Amino acid sequence: MAERTFEEAQAELEQIVARLEKGEASLDEALALWEKGEELYAYCRAKLDAAEGKVEELARRVEEARP
Amino acid sequence: MAKVEALPYDDKTVYSVAAFNRGVAQWLGRLPTVWVEGEVTELRRHDRWASVFFTLKDPADGSCVGVTMPRGQFDGLRLDLQDGERVHVYGRPELFEKRGDFRLRALSIQRFGIGAHLAALERLKAKLAAEGLFAQERKRPLPFLPRCIGLVTGNDAAAKRDVLTTIQTRFPPAHVVVAETYVQGPRAALGIIDALSALCARDDVDVIVLARGGGSFEDLLPFSDERLVRAIAACPVPVVSGVGHEQDTPLCDFVADRRASTPTMAGKLVVPDLAEVLRHLESARTSLARGVRRTVDRDVQSLERAHERLRRAPALLVERKQARLEAAKGRLTALSPKATLRRGYAIVRRDGAVVSRVAVGERVDVELAEGGFGARVEETHG
Repeated sequence: MAERTFEEAQAELEQIVARLEKGEASLDEALALWEKGEELYAYCRAKLDAAEGKVEELARRVEEARP
Repeated sequence: MAKVEALPYDDKTVYSVAAFNRGVAQWLGRLPTVWVEGEVTELRRHDRWASVFFTLKDPADGSCVGVTMPRGQFDGLRLDLQDGERVHVYGRPELFEKRGDFRLRALSIQRFGIGAHLAALERLKAKLAAEGLFAQERKRPLPFLPRCIGLVTGNDAAAKRDVLTTIQTRFPPAHVVVAETYVQGPRAALGIIDALSALCARDDVDVIVLARGGGSFEDLLPFSDERLVRAIAACPVPVVSGVGHEQDTPLCDFVADRRASTPTMAGKLVVPDLAEVLRHLESARTSLARGVRRTVDRDVQSLERAHERLRRAPALLVERKQARLEAAKGRLTALSPKATLRRGYAIVRRDGAVVSRVAVGERVDVELAEGGFGARVEETHG
């Protein structure tokens, strides 16, 4: 999963949620989808946290460089 | 009128020089008196001389004719002519017989008036426009940051100070080379052309400003000189014209790559405002940071919404499955024999097995909707 982009992971997560909400999956399948969905969420969240951290870091550097 | 006499030599008719000159002079004398327009050059006037001499020059191609006028008459006009001035001379062609010199004998001289100047300017403007010298396609863009700015101006002109102050205020690191020259009078046009070519000879000059403050119509005339207009058109770097005030439109304004209404405006055109450039840069940097933040925030929100739905989905699914289970159980119950019993039927069993027929004297168990009872068969039907 390391090579997929944030957008790809997010799109797959949305698909899984839509599938689960339709309620057509078997129970076993639903549980597997849920697990997979949580995994995707964790991955996306980690990417966003990293991005937020970078934004803050850059903003601080800009602030420090300001005359 | 003296008679022109020829000397007979065999079959030839031969004139003396004097006779030849006299003959030509007499023939010229029959030509009409006309007005001739040109620039005064090589004006020679001396108190001891009976006549004043000057050369009348055609500014377009340099054609010349000598002009002479009796000194008393010339002084009486009180024109105080200077070399380079444009005049109309009223006179007739004449041959100075002693030297065989052809010249124009002036009866009257008029300094070129404003009306004449205007008419001449309009003609020149139309001619140069027809040549395409003022065409929009010829205009070159000014460099954003010129390495060096050439400034052509008068030696102590306010225009020079205006341009320099404007440039230095807007863009302090700007580098300006000043070429000073005459900016009015008969020598101005050629002086400005020389200044232009001196600046063009430097290879670091990226743009040239031509600046002169306001002045009378005549003061600004050199800036409409055909030679100067052509020199600006031929200039290898873009030229900004900042001559006179808003209402003045000398021809250099039309041929220049950019026209500024005043020298100060010309200064503004050639350099960017450093403070403004920095402000823009700073605000671009701020919006850059804001843009990235907004993108991240949007992604966080949509991810959290998806996660919330994901979290709820399994519970909903189980709930729905339970509901279906309950429904099935209901239907199952509906299908069980109990419901039939409630409608008044009874189940008859013998030794625990359901029977479909019985014999008299047999012992059976009867099950009802509510409880049951044991019984012995007393009689049978059918």
